[in-house]
Amino acid sequence: MVKLNIDGKTVKVLEGTTVLKAAEQAGIYIPTLCAHPQLTPYGGCRLCMVEVEGAGTLQPSCTLPVTEGMQIKTNTKKILDARKFVLTLIFSERNHFCMYCQVTDGDCELQNAAYDESMTHWPLQPNWQPYEVDASHKFFVLDHNRCILCRRCVRACNELVGNFTLGFKERGANSFLVADYGVPLGESTCISCGTCVQICPTGALIDRQSAYQGKEIEVDHHLSVCVDCSIGCQRDVLTRDNRLIRIEGDWDTSLNHGLLCEKGRFEPLAKECNRILTPLVRKDGSLKAATWDEAISAIIEKIKPLTGKKEKGLAVLASSRLSTESLALIDEVFNQGFEAAIVTSIEEDQTSSVAAEIAKELGKPFESKLDVLKDTDVALVLGADLATDHQVAGFFLKRQQASGTKLIVAGTKENRFIDKANLKLQQTKGTSLDLIESLTAALVELRKAKVEDLKAADALYSSSEKTGLAIDSLLKTAEYLSSAKKPVIVYGKGFVSNNNKVALKALLEFAALIGKNGAPLVGVKGQANSMAAAQLMLVKPFKADSVQAVYLALGDEIPTKKLTKDLENVPFVAVHAAYSSQLTANADVVLPAAIWAEEEGHYLNSDGRLQKNVKALEAPENVLDTVTTLQKIAELLNVKTKGDWKSQLLARVSSVEITQG
Amino acid sequence: MKAVRSMVLISNDTESIALGANEVFSAFQQKIQDYGLSDEISISFISDIGHNSAAPLVIIYPEAVIYGPVKPDDVLDIVEEHLDKGHIVERKLVPAHELSEHLTWLSSRKGTLPAENRIVLKNVGLIDPENIEDYIALDGYQALGTVLGKTPAETISIIEDSGLRGRGGAGFPTGLKWSFVAKTHIDKKYVVCNADESEPGTFKDRLVLEGDPHAIIEAMAIAAYAVGADEGYVYIRGEYRLAIERMKVAIKQAREYGLLGKNIFSSKFSFDLHVHAGAGAYICGEETALIESIEGKRGEPRSRPPYPTTFGLWGKPTLVNNVETLANIPAIIRNGADWYRSIGTPSSPGTKVYTILGNVNVTGLIEVPMGITLREVITIYAKGMKGGTFKMAQTGGSSGSIIPANLQDTPMDFDSFKTASVSLGSGALLICNEEICVVDLAKVLLNFFRFESCGKCNPCRIGCQKSFEILSNIAEGIGTLQDLEDLQMMANQLYELSNCGLGQTAGSPLKDILTYFHAEVESHIRLKVCPADTCPMSGKTIYHVGQEVKITREHGA
Amino acid sequence: MAKPKVASDWLSGCAGCHMSLLDIDERIIALTELIDLRATPITDLKEPDKDGVDVGILEGCINNTYNEEVAKRMRERCKILVALGDCAVFGGVPAMRNFSGAGEALKRAYIETESTDSEGKVPSDPELCKPTRVKAISEVVHVDVFVPGCPPSADVIFYVLSELAQGRMPELKGNMLDWH
Repeated sequence: MVKLNIDGKTVKVLEGTTVLKAAEQAGIYIPTLCAHPQLTPYGGCRLCMVEVEGAGTLQPSCTLPVTEGMQIKTNTKKILDARKFVLTLIFSERNHFCMYCQVTDGDCELQNAAYDESMTHWPLQPNWQPYEVDASHKFFVLDHNRCILCRRCVRACNELVGNFTLGFKERGANSFLVADYGVPLGESTCISCGTCVQICPTGALIDRQSAYQGKEIEVDHHLSVCVDCSIGCQRDVLTRDNRLIRIEGDWDTSLNHGLLCEKGRFEPLAKECNRILTPLVRKDGSLKAATWDEAISAIIEKIKPLTGKKEKGLAVLASSRLSTESLALIDEVFNQGFEAAIVTSIEEDQTSSVAAEIAKELGKPFESKLDVLKDTDVALVLGADLATDHQVAGFFLKRQQASGTKLIVAGTKENRFIDKANLKLQQTKGTSLDLIESLTAALVELRKAKVEDLKAADALYSSSEKTGLAIDSLLKTAEYLSSAKKPVIVYGKGFVSNNNKVALKALLEFAALIGKNGAPLVGVKGQANSMAAAQLMLVKPFKADSVQAVYLALGDEIPTKKLTKDLENVPFVAVHAAYSSQLTANADVVLPAAIWAEEEGHYLNSDGRLQKNVKALEAPENVLDTVTTLQKIAELLNVKTKGDWKSQLLARVSSVEITQG
Repeated sequence: MKAVRSMVLISNDTESIALGANEVFSAFQQKIQDYGLSDEISISFISDIGHNSAAPLVIIYPEAVIYGPVKPDDVLDIVEEHLDKGHIVERKLVPAHELSEHLTWLSSRKGTLPAENRIVLKNVGLIDPENIEDYIALDGYQALGTVLGKTPAETISIIEDSGLRGRGGAGFPTGLKWSFVAKTHIDKKYVVCNADESEPGTFKDRLVLEGDPHAIIEAMAIAAYAVGADEGYVYIRGEYRLAIERMKVAIKQAREYGLLGKNIFSSKFSFDLHVHAGAGAYICGEETALIESIEGKRGEPRSRPPYPTTFGLWGKPTLVNNVETLANIPAIIRNGADWYRSIGTPSSPGTKVYTILGNVNVTGLIEVPMGITLREVITIYAKGMKGGTFKMAQTGGSSGSIIPANLQDTPMDFDSFKTASVSLGSGALLICNEEICVVDLAKVLLNFFRFESCGKCNPCRIGCQKSFEILSNIAEGIGTLQDLEDLQMMANQLYELSNCGLGQTAGSPLKDILTYFHAEVESHIRLKVCPADTCPMSGKTIYHVGQEVKITREHGA
Repeated sequence: MAKPKVASDWLSGCAGCHMSLLDIDERIIALTELIDLRATPITDLKEPDKDGVDVGILEGCINNTYNEEVAKRMRERCKILVALGDCAVFGGVPAMRNFSGAGEALKRAYIETESTDSEGKVPSDPELCKPTRVKAISEVVHVDVFVPGCPPSADVIFYVLSELAQGRMPELKGNMLDWH
């Protein structure tokens, strides 16, 4: 511990702490612009200067490490003059016109800093040279007039996301933010994660869809979770007058620390679908508006006769975007109560089921939390395209490459994440087991592990041939993993496709051979509530020609072409959906559903966190949420429900320990 | 080494080449062959020996005469008369007064005035830099051998005792810096030579790199041994193509002779060097920006602490020294710390290479003991003002100080300068007469700074630009009294708030012209008059330099 | 002691700041007990007293030479000059034409507007668009008090005037400081 004195206050902090953080701990506020708690200090804006006894000039507190006995002053006249000078210079460098900027009146850190120093005017005139506005990107706009060159966006793109798209060109007064080598943002390698927009202190980077629609003082915040994939990032949903304004990450959250990807941040607002606003029943060949009672009666009429029928009976399909409450109720009503022919989720290639089965066999969880991805020196990624799905997990890995972390990615040629790897293993389709066998053999060849009755050289040769990978790459992979201090292995749906339990089992054994204590295993699963669906055993394969009727709890999911086609020939189809589609147009009864923001519920993410998606909007009139709808149906079916979803969820062992998120 | 009767050295610095040095070289080769003297006479190139008004120069040993400027047509006479018959060709000799004082073999000046004393430039002009044997013949690599017989700690003591201070501009005690790196207990350390030399008006390092590269190699090896490093980089600015080439050749030869690489002189000490070319940024002369550049990143200075001595290249302890500093090392080891202390002043021992530029009769480089005064430099070495009277001198390159007439007698060493609040910097001396306007001079300097600023910190990036605009407005005759206050504020805050030395010293010209030449600046504003008659004073309304706003009537009126 | 004299004028502005001043409603009665309101664009006297006033208030920015003259005249005739509103302090809305330049602005105004008939011509008066760049008042004369806002709220204006009326310099900070 180091003891120092700030403005007369004695502070004790850990060695290596900066003066800025020490002041924060002591409750003393020092203004900053380029500093951010999530980023390494930059020391460029010079707003955080402090007086250090014994130093000839003012020092930047954000980069200065504390020393024993330091005497610091944070608000002398010299410092206040310096702050005004720095702000004066920043205003004069480009064109900071507050009057038509969307972040004025509280959302601009530059303006707030000026207010804090009681600045009433600009002592130096602005540049008056117009700078360009880059509006080429689909989701946000970059206005260079408002940029203060703090580099927060560049550092975020590098350190937090690991995408390295943003950078600076030229130097001095010609310094300029660029994407890649100077291309418009819309044509760059930007992956639209929006971290730069979130971290920009001024209105230089602004979200298009929410521009001018709600200042901080006008919006309501709802701390919730994303339901676009099984990572379940925590996010903040901003609404105003029952309208969705913007989705942001919250820097203080523990799983994703404020990061989101384009699916969770931008796409929910970019959706252009038609809402279904009234129940519909097919009469005389076409769908006509009806009341809820009429519609539900029409459903009951057709499905009640199929109670308990296993052949040519009722299939109940559920979207794994639905909350655990909904899924558990579906299970309770239709599996246990109604005893339908089949009750399952519509997620193709259900990735969580294999893991659940293995957990059952082992009798305990075997996967680790996503947190292990944040600090690793060698990561092996198997069959997971983290550049397309579950992107935030990809961020955790990509961003460590600059400091030496080795990323090894194995997958088929469609896998876009392979591009990012230090060691690229592009394998033939369907060779997951062969890959693990070759890697195990490689480990044994390198004498890093012992496996009984394994002729390593032969196994290595024959298995590698099937995978299409060079033996060299396999040996190198084994070498990296075995000499790593903090190895991790990640697997995704590409690895366990076609319910490849054997491959996953082999992977478990392989992971145990690595290093002294084995390598932790992380599975990224599929949709938002895949894990819950697996826990509730809603994971059976569905064949459309074996059923008489289908009840589909679709929620706000967009149905695939395959599903639409499959249901075309089913005699009776009832859908509970939010958006109209070909599938709903073909259906016999359509019930309007709430979307994710209108329905509260719990979600179990891929590493076992039980998190709550909070209700942020009121559904339109005449639209009911899934639970209420199911309860109505249950009532008319005379099925009694307890609604104890938690017990149902925890009834089985899960592949990763379930914790309260 | 082959024994020859005569040696012909032809200068091949950039200017000489432009004036036909290559053709002169070929002519010599041809003519010497014609006369059948190829076995007895060696011809080679040397780089600039510190003076180039008579380029290309041809120096012939053992007579030690210097011919210049030499054209290919003159070669026949020189070969026939001098090399074959032994008669000096008087008409082609460089006029004595321009050169004679620059050559070490002249006896020391009698009397009380200090004489030139070449330590750093000892071999420059005397040897073929692309021949390691020349260097060895003149006591080369002897110091390295001596040091390997001592302990690293003893080596550092010698340097500390000598009182050598960094010659890049900061004047930090070299021995102390070495001890900081030496006492870190990390497995990997680096030694870096800062040969980025971008200070305007300074070309002292170039002479050493082009004319005596082995001195640097030897010095770096000694430094590496002393601090515990096994790898080094010579960071040479990209524009110095000849220096980069020569250094690469020198390193190759040193490796061939076992003076670089594993187990040097059969000891346990191994050391090797890489040459890294800069890419055109003055800021990369700042040691942490230089390190960032070697690492492949933008040349932006790091926040300090931590300093490179504990956290430098790739996070390892790194010693960064200037070329001129290193060039002193072999001599100090060979002759001892006391010898070094006997030259110069107590606070600043040794010699300094000064570059003399400006409105004087003789320009060029001199190497004299520290402590010489500006007046002595002007009168003895520069042979007086070339027209007009002394008005001011700008020392240390662009980030030095502006010295008015009344400070001409300040001894030029680190401490005396500091007490007079002026900076010695890299030793460039720009001597100005009354035809130079202070506003114009400051404007030119600030133009340099705003172009070279790395752009990381606000005060420097924006402050240099704004100061330049203000000075331009003053030079155009549209300055206001508020501008004087703004310039003073810029100068103060640039020093107070900048992240590195560039920003900190960018304000010096502003501070100095306001301190020493306030009336001249004010007359630009109040009277709209430039006393030196240099500034345009056109009164054109220029709001930002280069952006002149006019109304065009072509669309219809 | 005589009441301090206050005069105001407007340059290139929308007069909104003066309207905001009027929004102090009945407080103007209390104010006029402390100050002697002399010339304003909305009262009878149009020019600040030749022998000077204590406080001069200017709204709007410098867009032509007449604005410059008025600003300089006010500066000569007052002890404390107040720049009222974003146009006066920053250049405000008129300054937006600095980004496209005088030429573009003239073209837009005289030739390209939707209501211009067939042959628009930019008039050839030498005073037109001189100076070419719109300036904040402080670029032309020295300003003592800056009151930003578009417009500054009536409360802020009342605070500023009452402070000046009682011989103090107003200090705008906290929720009285609003640039937008």
